[in-house]
Amino acid sequence: MAYFGNNPQRGELQELYADLNDLNFEKKKEAVKKVIAYMTVGKDVSDLFQSVIKCLEFNDIEMKKLIYLYIVNYSRQKPDDAIMVIQNFRKDVRKSENPLVRALAIRTFGCLRVPKLNEYLIEPLKDCIQDDDPYVRKTAVLCVPKVYEVSPEICPPLLELLQKLLEKESNALVLANLIQSMREIEVVSGKQIIILNQKIIQKLLLAVDECIEWGQIFILDYLATYNPQDSKQAEIIIERTLPRLSHINPTVTFCAVKVILKYLDFLDNGDLVKNLCKKVAPSLISLLSWNQPEVQYTILRNISLILQKFPILFENDVKVFFCSFNEPYYIKYEKLDIMVRICDSKNFGQVLNELLIYLNEADPHFVRKTIKSIGKIAITYDKALDKAVSILVEFAKNIQQPTEPVQELLIQMQLIYKKNKQMYKHEESLKIIYSIIDYANEPESKSACAWIVGEFGEFIPKSVEKMKEYIDNFQMEDRLVQLQLLTSAVQLYLKYPSQCSILIQQLITSAKDSFNPDVRDRTYIYWRLLSTDPEIVKNLVCFNSGTFSNFSKDLRLWETQDLVLALENMGNISNLFHKLPHQLYKNIKIKVNNQQEVKIYKGDEKPESQVKEQQDENQQNIQKEQQQQQDIDLLNFDDPPVNNNNNNNKSNKTDVFELI
Amino acid sequence: MISSLSFINQKGEILIYRVYKDDISRNEITQFCAKMIATKENKEFPIINIDQTSFIHISIKDIIILATTKTDVNVAMVLEFLYQLSKICKSYFQGNLDENCIKKSFVLIYEILDEVLDYGIPQIADPNLLQKFIQEGGVQQETTINIEKLRQLTFTLTGVVSWRPIGLYYEKNELYLDIIESVNLLISAKDTVLRAEVVGSIELKSKLTGMPECQIGMNDKLLMGKQQKQTKQTIGISIDDMKFHPCVRLPKFDKDRTITFIPPDGHCQLISYRISENINIPFKVNVFYSEIIDNKLEIRLKIKSIYDNNIYGTNVLVKVPVPKNTVNAITATALGKARYEVEEQSVIWRIKKFQGDFETSLRCEINLGTTNKDQVWSKPPLKMEFQIPMFTASGLRVRFLKVMEKAGYKTNKWIRYLTKGGEYLHRL
Repeated sequence: MAYFGNNPQRGELQELYADLNDLNFEKKKEAVKKVIAYMTVGKDVSDLFQSVIKCLEFNDIEMKKLIYLYIVNYSRQKPDDAIMVIQNFRKDVRKSENPLVRALAIRTFGCLRVPKLNEYLIEPLKDCIQDDDPYVRKTAVLCVPKVYEVSPEICPPLLELLQKLLEKESNALVLANLIQSMREIEVVSGKQIIILNQKIIQKLLLAVDECIEWGQIFILDYLATYNPQDSKQAEIIIERTLPRLSHINPTVTFCAVKVILKYLDFLDNGDLVKNLCKKVAPSLISLLSWNQPEVQYTILRNISLILQKFPILFENDVKVFFCSFNEPYYIKYEKLDIMVRICDSKNFGQVLNELLIYLNEADPHFVRKTIKSIGKIAITYDKALDKAVSILVEFAKNIQQPTEPVQELLIQMQLIYKKNKQMYKHEESLKIIYSIIDYANEPESKSACAWIVGEFGEFIPKSVEKMKEYIDNFQMEDRLVQLQLLTSAVQLYLKYPSQCSILIQQLITSAKDSFNPDVRDRTYIYWRLLSTDPEIVKNLVCFNSGTFSNFSKDLRLWETQDLVLALENMGNISNLFHKLPHQLYKNIKIKVNNQQEVKIYKGDEKPESQVKEQQDENQQNIQKEQQQQQDIDLLNFDDPPVNNNNNNNKSNKTDVFELI
Repeated sequence: MISSLSFINQKGEILIYRVYKDDISRNEITQFCAKMIATKENKEFPIINIDQTSFIHISIKDIIILATTKTDVNVAMVLEFLYQLSKICKSYFQGNLDENCIKKSFVLIYEILDEVLDYGIPQIADPNLLQKFIQEGGVQQETTINIEKLRQLTFTLTGVVSWRPIGLYYEKNELYLDIIESVNLLISAKDTVLRAEVVGSIELKSKLTGMPECQIGMNDKLLMGKQQKQTKQTIGISIDDMKFHPCVRLPKFDKDRTITFIPPDGHCQLISYRISENINIPFKVNVFYSEIIDNKLEIRLKIKSIYDNNIYGTNVLVKVPVPKNTVNAITATALGKARYEVEEQSVIWRIKKFQGDFETSLRCEINLGTTNKDQVWSKPPLKMEFQIPMFTASGLRVRFLKVMEKAGYKTNKWIRYLTKGGEYLHRL
């Protein structure tokens, strides 16, 4: 049988039609298979609807399954024909002794998704929900959200039945599916459907032990959204969840981690909290070295959240995140990101040593990100500055081509000099960086170079010539570079007024007619200022080093008040993209976190509230100079610096206007 | 939950397409396929979100299995489910999953897809169980007629011991245990151990009658500390973390660390574990790279085995990376064979049998071509592969394995140990 045939020509359809109506059973079956094959490749075979459903009269389960598949696919195109099948379904549900057939019928019935057929479905469905066989019950339970999606108005009696079943059901698998299907309805309707009581929670906890892995996930996932009434209840739930940490399915383990971490907030006993953290950590670390990279990736994406709320879990464990040579790059990127976040004033040496190795990797993007990370660590921790600069300078010595990492290197060196101007002396860094300055070919790196030439004009041989070179190409440059060139050229002019006067004339001539208002405005401002009082310009353009404060705050990914909500959704798609559900999905309501204080679990101390501390920090920050704020933005990891630079320039401008 | 599942081939054609929810169109899948093909590298992330639709996929050789969803589902679960689905399919196709199999047995796959997901919610995904009611061809007719058997089947499916059918019988009752450890080692260029870790698994193959209760005990420090009857020869080891097959009673383990279970019939991975303390590193490697003259590089390598001399390592392979511009390599060694392999960009040294407590060395002279000298060689780490039977790098031992069944039969038990090289790396 040809699987990937061409379009079913008219003739072929006719042939199929003939075969379907043939008296020979085998021929019919082959024809049905062919129809399904056409359906799979996306060809329209809906015209055969009547002939296909006629084949249902045979009591062959394989054929039945195929025909049901066909019906599900085309029922909405042919609602009138689909009515004819209903009798068949009802017969199967009511009369068949075979539980598999009953389940199959009710499952397919639910998939029809034709509103006017659903009223015929209610009665058989009610029967199935109360069936003796758990397999049928389980299937029927899952049928309810299907019906609800299409015709919610006829569902209230079904929902009542579900709630009743929730109270009396004893089979673990049915219970797990029941919870999941009620949650699906909650998502569609936006209403709370599940009404819990002490007894039901007890039952759910028991069911976790007894049902298959997916069922365990459904229940644990649900428990993570529940808020326990008191410390005692939280303790019981945690106790029942703990054994799941040893399940072979990584998702079960991860869900258990989620439930336990979430409920820690509700515990009164500090020692217990510490003990639990000790139990959770090794399980989590095992997941990080899981042999399926995709699963590993999802866990890694969630680590930043855990790191922020539970730093205690990864104390002294930065090694866990070291990259292995053969890992896929998307995992390496995540690990690199986490290593920077986990880095602190104690372990930066270890992290930098590891990053040093990554500079040898083949992938330029990865090397670039490594350089960015090194720069980030250098700027965040004063003590790390020397070592980081040594590493970067060593790397610069071997550069012979304008590669991507070189661009990042220049950008990071500029930032490091901004942080501490004296670093130019360290290991002759300025000399070496200046030797590779011609390799800059991106706007950002070029502007970094222009900054370096302007700032260190007096330490660089032939800085004026270099600047002339830049200014000769002024028109060709990106706006970002042009703006920096203006400032740097003025800076250099103040250092060498006689040598640069022609240069500055040339620059003003070519920049004053720029189409870009930013460039034009800045040109005019400098021009006017230079002709009135060069001293003011000096205050304006010469950068004062050492104005950077500690950046560690920037490493936090989540807003502190979002942590609790984010934890509930750990492992979900929204969390994978580092967002809350309502930020990613338009139809999800904003859930409000009613916990006043967000507990952060640190290593040695007992859990403490950080909210107040954070507020103080925020206030201090507001008071700091605006310039500094801008520079912090400039360093932000994930934002494209181009925009930030823009802001920077704008703020410069307003300052200037005030001066005038 | 999951809105649709598709199997896609390398060319981006949809081989199998099954919808579970109404909110996805075939068009969206086709567009995604086009995108997949455009960027062939596996740099493509396992999950992509386009306008509130999430595409989650795994690749099994040339086949991409793709799930789509529009809701905020648990990604790890979907991924794990896709992996299990691939296992199920493989179990029907004798371990293979390729385009041919899929095209030939698409009816079967649709049947599987019908059973493993309902409304996009994962259901039974145990290959052994599924085979009980989805079978190829006409074999199933026999089971479908016997209603009593069917009842039993659905009760097994939904029951507490869903992994084992009732009424199994074997003439000879046998049990095989395989303890397989793979050593992950990372040693820095300065010869310090950055990471040493054993990831092990205990594989169980059982042919047992009835519903046997089993208990297994290892030299787990925490467990043996409790029993207090410690003798000198049984010093326990500390296990960082263990993960168990669903058949193991987890609450019992959590309570007193005893491992009890009713085994599934046939083969399963009973336990997987991770140990990072007191690892016996099986090989010590010393390597020196020195440039003799401009176009010549000398590599000297010394390997010492640090396990008992009555056991042997087999299939030892050392991958010594050499620069890209290597022309040829002259190697000299007393043991095994070594030669330069271009496609691996390394000198590969193979040793069939490596006795314990033994030292051997390799000397290579690498002739380098003159071209492309400016390009810096990014030194990949030196890698080792090996297999050492009757040895565990973690020191783990199975102390006992009890089988209790009401029929009271005798069980023959076999046990094997093996240590393999995992990510066994030396940075240069």
